[in-house]
Amino acid sequence: MALPSLPGKYDSENSSGMVTSRRRLVDAELVASVAWLIKLRWIAGLGVILATLAMEVVFRLDAATGPLIAIGTAILAYNLIFYLGDRRLARNNAPTAAYEQLAKWQVGLDWVAVTLLIHYSGGIESPVILFFLFHIIIASMLFPARTAFAFALLAIALLTATSLLEYFGLLPHEAIVGFLNTSLYQNGLYVSAVLLFFASAALIIAYLASSIQERLRQREEEVVELSESLQRATLRLQALNDGARTVGSTLDLSQVLNRLVMSTAEAMGVRAVSIRLLDQSGKRLEPVAVYGLSQEYLNKGPVEVENNPLAREVLAGNVVNIPDAPGSPLLQYPEEAKLEGICSMLSAPLPGKEGPLGILRAYAEEVNRFTPDDEAFLTAIAAQGSIAIENALAYHAVEALDDVKSQFVRMVTHELRSPVSVIRSLLRTVSGGFAGQISDQQRDILERVSRRAEFLQGLIDDLLDLAAGKTDVKIQARLERVALTGIVVKVVRRYELSASEKGQELEWIEDASCKEIRVLATPESLDRVFNNLVSNAVKYTPPGGRVTVSLVCTEEEAIVTVADTGIGITAEAMEHLFEEFYRAPNAKEMEREGTGLGLTIVKDTVTRLGGHIAVDSKPGVGSRFTVTLPIYEESAEAEAGETPEKSATVAY
Amino acid sequence: MNNKQILIIDDDPDQRLSLRLPLESAGYKVFEATNAAEGLAAVKQVNPDLVILDVMMDTTTAGFQVALELHSADPSSAYKEYRKTPIIMLTAIHSTTPLRFAPDSDYLPVETFLEKPVDPGVLLAKLRELIPG
Repeated sequence: MALPSLPGKYDSENSSGMVTSRRRLVDAELVASVAWLIKLRWIAGLGVILATLAMEVVFRLDAATGPLIAIGTAILAYNLIFYLGDRRLARNNAPTAAYEQLAKWQVGLDWVAVTLLIHYSGGIESPVILFFLFHIIIASMLFPARTAFAFALLAIALLTATSLLEYFGLLPHEAIVGFLNTSLYQNGLYVSAVLLFFASAALIIAYLASSIQERLRQREEEVVELSESLQRATLRLQALNDGARTVGSTLDLSQVLNRLVMSTAEAMGVRAVSIRLLDQSGKRLEPVAVYGLSQEYLNKGPVEVENNPLAREVLAGNVVNIPDAPGSPLLQYPEEAKLEGICSMLSAPLPGKEGPLGILRAYAEEVNRFTPDDEAFLTAIAAQGSIAIENALAYHAVEALDDVKSQFVRMVTHELRSPVSVIRSLLRTVSGGFAGQISDQQRDILERVSRRAEFLQGLIDDLLDLAAGKTDVKIQARLERVALTGIVVKVVRRYELSASEKGQELEWIEDASCKEIRVLATPESLDRVFNNLVSNAVKYTPPGGRVTVSLVCTEEEAIVTVADTGIGITAEAMEHLFEEFYRAPNAKEMEREGTGLGLTIVKDTVTRLGGHIAVDSKPGVGSRFTVTLPIYEESAEAEAGETPEKSATVAY
Repeated sequence: MNNKQILIIDDDPDQRLSLRLPLESAGYKVFEATNAAEGLAAVKQVNPDLVILDVMMDTTTAGFQVALELHSADPSSAYKEYRKTPIIMLTAIHSTTPLRFAPDSDYLPVETFLEKPVDPGVLLAKLRELIPG
């Protein structure tokens, strides 16, 4: 940013204290005064011209009108130059030194102008002498006391020189004829007296004005400092607030802690901040987030609670302020701290729900840097940090638990499925006559056993589908862009044969605009949804009926409808339709086998994919299931950053 | 009767039996191995006309490794003589596991996949197709 030190804006670079804030204050004042002086001078120049004319015309006094008007004009002329110069400085963002230079030139020329005015209005007799006094006040306001006194002395010198030159006749005396008729300029006593009083008045005024100015500046500095400390406090509150928000918004531990140490260091205006956490043994402190410390310092050696009095003290729950680190007996590595240039250390415990988690520490290069305010601040930050750490640790634990769960599901998948699968294989082998001839009764029994085994297999598959959806919190990570049409068509094809065997008409209606649409899902999950719906429709529709599967699209949604002319769903059954293991009485009547999990899985899956399902049915007439899924937009992909990788189907 | 030799590599004895019976009744000579290492050794010993391979044995992907080994395109492969030996891979396709692997010849150098439970009729038809005669 090209903003120069805006007064009042807290800026960490300039925060090093009194000197800079004072400097800035004086600078800003000087710049303002230069402009103010230029404004005043327009009036002064005009005043000189008007006063001269008034003397001449109204009071009929005989003065050196020509030179006086010339001086007034000259004042206006050089003021114009200053005016343009000031504007240029402002445009170029000039340094304060340039303004100071400009101010000195102004005062210098004003001195000359006043001296000339005095000379042409009667020298030592001139009332204009008084003008020097307010010029000295102006100089005192503009410059440091030393410069103001120099200008006062210059004024005294100029007046003394003028009057002496006139006194000795070396310079013609320009009296205002008709104003003072005695020639006081030749009266030595008068001249000496005026000069003496003028000199003392000038010096006293310079002194008074400078002192007042100094005191005003001090007050202003106090105000500026106060406002700066307020701003620092605001910044700290902001850091605290940021900390709180970080805690809420991210669960990545190292990210949370790195942000925390950085913003804490900035808010406190210190060299470095670190977070060390106790390792699993609880004996060592490991640095997990560091800002502002050298690698050498971090590699200084292990921080063992046993050998580190400071760590023990802090972990016991105390905030420890060490004003002179290299000399402190509490430190395990005082030499290294000295080498690193660290003089003050402030350590606060990170309180966990079940004992301390570690230590939050601020390091400063100044001796005795930390105040009770800093202690309170660091403690507050430590409390926030602890929440972040515990949240992140809890999240990691949940993730680990989820992995265990997934593994469990995987194991169960294999352990439950393979024996059932082998049972079915063996049954087929026997009923196929590959193990010797079997009687009709034996065959009938084997077929019954097979049906039960198949039901068991279906039940296991359904349960696993359900469990997969419920346990796998990472399912979002596996989602990919899936062409919906392809999946639905595949499912419809799958049931063409069984539908025609039942004498049903299976119809597929596609909205042309849906050709390219994709939804965020997995091919398996979509297959599961539509397979369940179409299989139900075919299963619960009597011969000669019709099953219609259609896909239409709006701008944001894809709507798949599976409609049949089947047995329908009663109002009572509708209430329980999506409940686990529920099967409607009329469905049971028509098909003995069934797990009652199919629609539960459908609803569960559709919901997880961000869609919804609706049912509309009339017993004896038919049912209509409408699945609505959000269409995946390409632009959303760019925002999301990465495309889910193409994944394939499971096989083992 | 045919003299074709079939090697079944599967760690489940019941599964092996369910495969062996229809194969033998169709006149095939059946050999068995119970894990990947044994299977690979048996390939060299028996030089089968076809291998029936289960995926999940000692490890979840042991079958894949056997298939890759047998059909390796590497000319220095120890199994280069068996590169053309057809493989039927037995799978239990299920979507719940994170290990998702497409039964696709781009991925795996096997001739065909059969889903468990294997239907004996389907198996025998597949064999007649892959090793006629």
